[in-house]
Amino acid sequence: MELLDPTVEQPAQAISFAPRPRALAGTRVALIENTKYNSDRLLEKIGDLLKKEHGVAEWKVFHKHNSSVPAHKEVIDEVKAGYDVMVAGVGD
Amino acid sequence: MPTLTSRRHKVEDLDAVEFCFQQGWTDGLPVIPPTEDRVWAMLKAANLQPDDQIGYIDNRAVGVTAEKVALNAVMAGCRPEYMKVVVAAVRGICDPAWAYHGPGTSTGGAGVLMIVNGPLARALDINAGDNLFGPGWRANATIGRAVRLVMRNVAGSKPGLLDRGTLGHPGKLSYVIAENETGSPWTPLHVERGFKKEQSTVTVLAAQGPHQVYNQLSNTAEGILTTCADDMRISGGVMGQPQYVVILAGEHMKTIAADGWTKAEIRTFLFEHTHSSHEHLKRTHRMSGAVQPGDDTKRRPLVASPEDFLVIAAGGNAGAFSAYIPGWGSKRSSQAVTKEVK
Repeated sequence: MELLDPTVEQPAQAISFAPRPRALAGTRVALIENTKYNSDRLLEKIGDLLKKEHGVAEWKVFHKHNSSVPAHKEVIDEVKAGYDVMVAGVGD
Repeated sequence: MPTLTSRRHKVEDLDAVEFCFQQGWTDGLPVIPPTEDRVWAMLKAANLQPDDQIGYIDNRAVGVTAEKVALNAVMAGCRPEYMKVVVAAVRGICDPAWAYHGPGTSTGGAGVLMIVNGPLARALDINAGDNLFGPGWRANATIGRAVRLVMRNVAGSKPGLLDRGTLGHPGKLSYVIAENETGSPWTPLHVERGFKKEQSTVTVLAAQGPHQVYNQLSNTAEGILTTCADDMRISGGVMGQPQYVVILAGEHMKTIAADGWTKAEIRTFLFEHTHSSHEHLKRTHRMSGAVQPGDDTKRRPLVASPEDFLVIAAGGNAGAFSAYIPGWGSKRSSQAVTKEVK
């Protein structure tokens, strides 16, 4: 018997990462909040620590529409235009 | 002449079912081995070509082709005539409003509740009556199973890997019902959602399991729905305000209808009677913060608006029971989607 495979054969995708900054001092950091409980508080804490311990120049929290979707275009555009580093994660 | 492009595996006949287990293709139950002729029968029944794109899941960067849906429908045990319903449901979960990534992966453990409306529900013998949530009906058991296998094998929602449901529930195997349109006094769900009565549709909602409501005492609409609202008030995520499905079965349906209540009036009543006070929500650690003066009079509704209660008639004629099903998460994260079965 010959069976067909029900799974997908994912084409290989090349993913290139943005170059990492050598140091965080003086950088502008975007913090992406995913709308889960306390994720904003956690990110604000991270922002304060980055400023205090790593000399980050400024940080700002951006909010996703909800936790099920990627950050929307306006957020991505603003981060690309005005920030050097982005912190994103799932708060749950 | 189109061809099937999926990888092929040669196996011994007797080992075919076991082979499917070994490949990690199943939901834990035996599957029908997906052979070429069976897959073609599925595609032909739905007038689809193998490379027709049924949907695209953005977060997963995965296109779902008709061939893969057909393959998984075969494995689930679907009859070829069910394929159109499976396809419509897959279109539904690929819709941005359903937002696959959350309900397909979440610790919240959502099933895909599928409510089939229209003449095809009757033609395919999709159960709307006794033992509504099963077992016993091939269409109900296999259509939902096919959708879940697509989620597993195509979208990658494997339990323990990408599907991280903490508890899950039995509806994650299959969760298909039809509305009892022939016995219902009310406007069918799909007509309320903008379709014609003679169209067939499937409505998908990321959902928790069904919660049964008992009321064997009241003979009024208000009495039954008061019990229903009291059961529902603290249920589901409470703070998330998801959508809900409310299923009114035979005896309750008749009592409520005899009092002349429409679905819109049922929704409004349930909305008004499922608010919780901030004081209660804080005291029971559902709302953050300390209880403040005046919190006992501040009210938070269970859902954002009365329209977020999807009311249907279904279930057996005997027995004074109904059910409600809280949606997964929040309406903001995932919404019910209705697709025509074409």
